Amino acid sequence: MIVNRKRPWQKHMIQIEALTKNYGQFTAAEDITFEVKTGEIFGLLGPNGAGKSTTINCISGLLKPSLGEININGHSVLSEAIKAKASLGLVPQDLALYEDLSGQENLNFWGQAYGLSGEKLNNRIKTVLDQVGLTSRAKDLVSTYSGGMKRRLNFACAILHEPQALLLDEPTVGVDPQSREHLLSAVEQLKAQGTAVLYTTHYMEEAERLCDRIAIIDHGKIIAVGTVDELRSQMGEKDLITLNGDFDAVEQTVLTEFEVIEWQDHTVRFMAENAASQLSELLAKFPQGTIKQTAVQQANLESLFIKLTGRELRD
Amino acid sequence: MGGTRMPFTVAGIRLKRVLREKWGLISWLAIPIIIVFLMSLIAGTGGGKMTGRLLVTDHDETGVSQFIIGGFSQGPMAEIFTVKQVSETEGKALMDDGDASAWIVLEQGFGDAVLNNQPTKIKLVKNPAQSILPQMVESSMKLLVDAASYVQVLFAKELAVLKPMLETQKFNDAELVILTLGIKNQIERLEETLFPPQLKMVEQQVEQSVDEATNITFALLMFPGAVFMALIFSANSMGLYIWDDATNGVIPRLSSTPAALKAYFNGQVIAAALLFLLIVFILGLLGGLYFDLPLIKLPLMMLWLTFSGLVIYQLFCMISLLMPTAKSAVIVVNATSFPLLMLGGSFFPMETMPTWLATIGQFLPNGFLLQGLKDWLIRAEPMAEALMWPFVLGLVMFSVLWLVNRVLIRRLIHKV
Repeated sequence: MIVNRKRPWQKHMIQIEALTKNYGQFTAAEDITFEVKTGEIFGLLGPNGAGKSTTINCISGLLKPSLGEININGHSVLSEAIKAKASLGLVPQDLALYEDLSGQENLNFWGQAYGLSGEKLNNRIKTVLDQVGLTSRAKDLVSTYSGGMKRRLNFACAILHEPQALLLDEPTVGVDPQSREHLLSAVEQLKAQGTAVLYTTHYMEEAERLCDRIAIIDHGKIIAVGTVDELRSQMGEKDLITLNGDFDAVEQTVLTEFEVIEWQDHTVRFMAENAASQLSELLAKFPQGTIKQTAVQQANLESLFIKLTGRELRD
Repeated sequence: MGGTRMPFTVAGIRLKRVLREKWGLISWLAIPIIIVFLMSLIAGTGGGKMTGRLLVTDHDETGVSQFIIGGFSQGPMAEIFTVKQVSETEGKALMDDGDASAWIVLEQGFGDAVLNNQPTKIKLVKNPAQSILPQMVESSMKLLVDAASYVQVLFAKELAVLKPMLETQKFNDAELVILTLGIKNQIERLEETLFPPQLKMVEQQVEQSVDEATNITFALLMFPGAVFMALIFSANSMGLYIWDDATNGVIPRLSSTPAALKAYFNGQVIAAALLFLLIVFILGLLGGLYFDLPLIKLPLMMLWLTFSGLVIYQLFCMISLLMPTAKSAVIVVNATSFPLLMLGGSFFPMETMPTWLATIGQFLPNGFLLQGLKDWLIRAEPMAEALMWPFVLGLVMFSVLWLVNRVLIRRLIHKV
């Protein structure tokens, strides 16, 4: 229970408290609580359908939460929507652009939607075009852009008004390496300028590179939160071993001294200290011909996710 | 935050996109012109005068009744009306089916009454779905009856001589000469009194009839409906563009900005108004010049058409926004457009429709707005009389739909 909410929230640019979103009997987001500070990149890491976009949509005002509080820059998204939205930039997962207009015309439209005009708008358009590397294509129709260029323009539209809080919903999906690098650099630049960034992704390497803190989300719930190092430490020094084969006739007791995460007919996952030296001994515990494939994964966010959920991040 | 500017920004973007799609704009303008041209050809008039059917039931069958009927079979009236002699039953059936403009019934004894200077009646049944042709029949009938009355008054003595001759069909040469001289003397005696006012009246009538007879052609009757057709086509597309903006992510993203979706919708309405104004300016000017409409009426005609377009646009927006998907919106909006076009007087003038269809058409938004315009523009009815009620109805419809659509557009975010 939070008492005197307003004062502590003002320390944070984005503050989410007990956010829940129900669709009838289905709960898309449940009791989500976190905050993002000025100049911090906070990652929401989870597989498709985990509740990342629902959370983002509630924060940006697209969805009304069933329960909970959302504050941006000290303003409630529910009761002071216009003030809250003025501090917010959104890079949606799906492109939100007019393909039959030029990049510059799109920026002009979105800039005006955020209340910019005149010289200030023109200057900002030049700056963001330069920031995302699209200056030379500014006057071309968006329909002539590559997928990566469209993603960069989509991003540029959200930062025109220099938002203090920026929401990025899987901004690099389907993006070529060059455009991805442009986007990630731009996000790092915004962080350096003091923007609070909420970044959702299911790419572990992006989260590890960008995020100061990460929340792992699955089935609408946050199941772990912390810095990358803090999360890694939850794995200890253990490696994640994944075996593929036919295990329906094998007793689970063969792995009593290991931490079994998942045991299915064709997949077995468990944790082991120093897997490399133990592997031959370990494999001998299974009847001959049972194991068809073996994978050893050192401690990282993905192995943590598998440890926590029993599923892979890209499931 | 840019609250007042945002609608104009949205309108500017929309218009820019519409005008870049040149072929869309061209088709909105060209299709109605082509359809009017083809319909005029199909109607067989090619821009000529409209025609109608006049039913006559003559129970009297005397020279006098033939004189009345003959009035519609000669001269310019013969070019407009095809006269068909029918029985009472046949006449009633044809009128019920809306297959004639008017029906005249002359009772037995009509001729006698005229010749004996007695009061008599002529029954006139008009087709309520048509307005011009039945009115022409009624006016002509009044003229003919007036003429007969004057003959009764002026030539009572001569008619008394003529009556037995007509009854027996035996004509005495001497009596005929006396009769002719009597008529001649009477005319000469009244010449000073009768002819000057008659000449003045004829001049006035000729002036009026030129206006009406030359202007009210099938093509002219089609013209306002054709502009409505262009408005319906463009309103249809404009109503569906909102779904495009929802599916391409613009509307969801806009709802995360300080700019309200209401401002976005108002922008769409402004864009629609400007687009309709452009369409009616082009088509209105072309039609106005081609049909030689009074120039003074053109500005109001254009404003009326733009207003009508906006009412139809709001209707399409509501239908579109009520649909669960973009695909269903396209299907239902298109499916609505065609009955509106067919019954509302765009494909066929209501004057040529069967009564029951024309009645339905007059209750459609494009139907009552179009009829009001035609009454004022073509039939020269007073502006207040012709346009007042359609304007009030249109304004109420526009306002209600606008309020409903501002609510519905918010729900669109959850459908995409």
